[in-house]
Amino acid sequence: MNEQKIDLQEFGMSDEELFAPVEHDFMDSEKITAPRYSYWQSVFRVFFRKKINIFVLSLLAVILIFTYVYPAVIGYDAEVDPYINLMNGEAKHLTPSAAMEMFGKNIHWILGSGAKGESTFDAIWYGSSISVTLALICAVINMVIGVVIGAVWGFSKKFDIFMIEVYNIVANVPYILLISVVVLIMSASFWSMVFALTVTGWLSIAYFIRTQVIIIRDREYNLASRCLGTPIWRIALKNILPFMTSVIVTLAATEIPSYISYEVFLSYIGMGLKDMSLGKLIESAQVAMVTPGWEIEFWAPVAIASIITVVLYVVGQNLGDASDPRTHM
Amino acid sequence: MTKYLLKRLLHGLLSLAVVVAIVMLLIYSFLEKDLIFAGDPNFSKLKHNSKDTYMYQQWEKYGYLDYVPYADYVQELLKAGEITQEEYSDIAKLGATAEKDSETAAPYIQKFIEKYEADGYQIERLPGKLKGKTKKYHEGGEPRLFAYKDIPLINRLVDYFGGLISVDDIDYVEQDIEDRGISFTLYDPAYGGEKFSPAIMGNGTKHKYLLYFDDQFPYIHQNLVKINLGTSYSVNRGIDVFDTMTTSQGSFVKSVVTYPSGVVEETADNIHSATYMAGSLEKGTAVTKQYYVDDYTVVTTHKNGLSRVGYSFVIGIISVILSYLLAIPLGTLMALKKDKFIDHLGTFYIVFILAVPSLAYIFMFKAIGGSMGLPTTFSVDDASWKMYVLPIISLSLPSVANLMKWLRRYIIDQMNSDYVKFARSGGLSEGEIFSKHILKNAMIPIVHGIPGSILGALVGAIITERVYVVPGAGNLLTNAINAYDNGVIVGVTLFYGLLSVVSIILGDLLMSMVDPRINFTAKRR
Repeated sequence: MNEQKIDLQEFGMSDEELFAPVEHDFMDSEKITAPRYSYWQSVFRVFFRKKINIFVLSLLAVILIFTYVYPAVIGYDAEVDPYINLMNGEAKHLTPSAAMEMFGKNIHWILGSGAKGESTFDAIWYGSSISVTLALICAVINMVIGVVIGAVWGFSKKFDIFMIEVYNIVANVPYILLISVVVLIMSASFWSMVFALTVTGWLSIAYFIRTQVIIIRDREYNLASRCLGTPIWRIALKNILPFMTSVIVTLAATEIPSYISYEVFLSYIGMGLKDMSLGKLIESAQVAMVTPGWEIEFWAPVAIASIITVVLYVVGQNLGDASDPRTHM
Repeated sequence: MTKYLLKRLLHGLLSLAVVVAIVMLLIYSFLEKDLIFAGDPNFSKLKHNSKDTYMYQQWEKYGYLDYVPYADYVQELLKAGEITQEEYSDIAKLGATAEKDSETAAPYIQKFIEKYEADGYQIERLPGKLKGKTKKYHEGGEPRLFAYKDIPLINRLVDYFGGLISVDDIDYVEQDIEDRGISFTLYDPAYGGEKFSPAIMGNGTKHKYLLYFDDQFPYIHQNLVKINLGTSYSVNRGIDVFDTMTTSQGSFVKSVVTYPSGVVEETADNIHSATYMAGSLEKGTAVTKQYYVDDYTVVTTHKNGLSRVGYSFVIGIISVILSYLLAIPLGTLMALKKDKFIDHLGTFYIVFILAVPSLAYIFMFKAIGGSMGLPTTFSVDDASWKMYVLPIISLSLPSVANLMKWLRRYIIDQMNSDYVKFARSGGLSEGEIFSKHILKNAMIPIVHGIPGSILGALVGAIITERVYVVPGAGNLLTNAINAYDNGVIVGVTLFYGLLSVVSIILGDLLMSMVDPRINFTAKRR
């Protein structure tokens, strides 16, 4: 404590000159002085606290560069000569060492060559750009529609009765049948595959969100909020949505890899894309798997597909964990 | 409770009817009708007009449309006595084009067209294809006249569900036969008539044996009630989906059989499956005449393998049992050792299975198993227990990961709940708390999935069965889709849907049995 005292009389001023009355400010009195809390800042602080996350994130960056930048930089085109050696019989089905001996030591040949004499490495990354794009687009569409409809579904009891019936019916229509009918009607192009995967795909996400909304909807704080006259949309946006962020991120983390897996599965049973996606690569390399010396043609796309899905999954899961406010302590 | 379950079942069946309607809409209305001929060997052999009429005949057979050729119409007139036998051939004969119709036929042709146009049919007349300038038609180039009408979805649906279950009756045979009726015997003639083996046999029914015993599981068999899920067009031509799924495969198994004529022989024929075919004895070969005394001559054969559903179920059920046996202790261990090494190892495995495409790890299991000397392909004739090992492992290891993940989650949630703290403060031992409280509560949601996974074993697994060449039921749907086999698609959809409806109800039932707090009938508070 400072013991020094100031004698106000020294200034030789009147009380009116020394003191000015301050207006009472209601807004200022409401302010609480606490450390600033930013939600997303905390999310990233928690996310980067784990060393493993930095590692997988940089792995993800490398994958994305190879998926999107690499084919563009080398100007990959599946039909053009430098990336395919259709005429050269000796260039087909080479092991990595044989391919490098033949074409020189560069990155294209580190996984050998395929049935058309093409570089397996280039074909894989071109294929993964198709597969990853498909997965991302499908995930975005399904998540947006699913979350919006799921939120309404959870709130409205009338809509719930209707949607439960729709869900029971659509869930029993075989997914493969739906996809193949769409593909047969619209041809096996990229966008018809997107349509096939999203036409009913949002429904299971919406159902999941609906269950979460119902759990949170009737909690005491929302009840109180409703008693105070908060409109429903404000409860949905301000009270419930922040609660669900981590659930949604976790869900997205499982959705994106699942579309890549699904694309691989569909190609394997002969209902996939026409383009040389990862799934199509795996499917067409099946013969190579049982042929001694050619196994790498099959295992390389399988391994890359697995790495991509695992990395996406781990990043998503850990981001989901970090976006749960309970971990921000 | 029974009332509630019946209500649920009824509700589920109604949803299934809508599902079948949607599937029918998808395949009958959205897809091109011509696709069904893609794999049909007869179709490509036909030429000219007969190709067109064949198409319409097949479309009628597979429920696309109603098709009435002019010849059928004239035949009906003859039956009704409106025209005489002498007039018949003249009236039935079409001219090469409409102008060239004979004077006797023209009014009837006009009547046919008017009658069916009034009923909303489309009339099609295909002119005859003459060989050059001769008066002879090309092979299959005869003129045709017919009416056709698309079947509305609702009629198709009613027909399908109406014909789903058929009961054999003694009026099945249209022809005149003697002694129409059902007889009961204590000594089955197929075993020589001396061995005690009761059987109910019919005459005038479709099947000769309606109920009989034999030495194959489940020992008592019936042919009285048949389920018709839909006739296959290309996957298993002309055979019903239900039979495609349930008839045994593999090579013939011979046994000593007494044929109806009394001939005793070692054969693979299954006399008990005899069905009626009009005139088959008369038209049959010498061998048929030697064996049979009536028109019940169409028999199936005994084979050594299981049916499609049989193989899928054997593999599926063992892997379900195995995965629960492995996942329950492992998931519990992970939860108890939370954040220890074993938990991290388990999590790593779960992430691997969840994220990696299933195709990738099944091929991995195949490669590892193959290098260990296990058979990697399935063979019906050269059966050994070893060939089951890899499919079972490939199915159970992924489901172990899934079960582990949920069990760990549920146990950890229970461990943090208040009643556990209370029990601990009350002085219960950790073991007691765990086995009597935590595990019991954590198992409830796991129990809910058990009927689903057991019934799901009947469906089979698409990738696993493809990779190991298992002749199971898993590929039936994908094969049917690839072959545009509409009957099979609808039938299989209904079968899958029924299983999923039943398994959810059974899951709820089992859950309410395990946990007395769960009651579906009590009114909501």
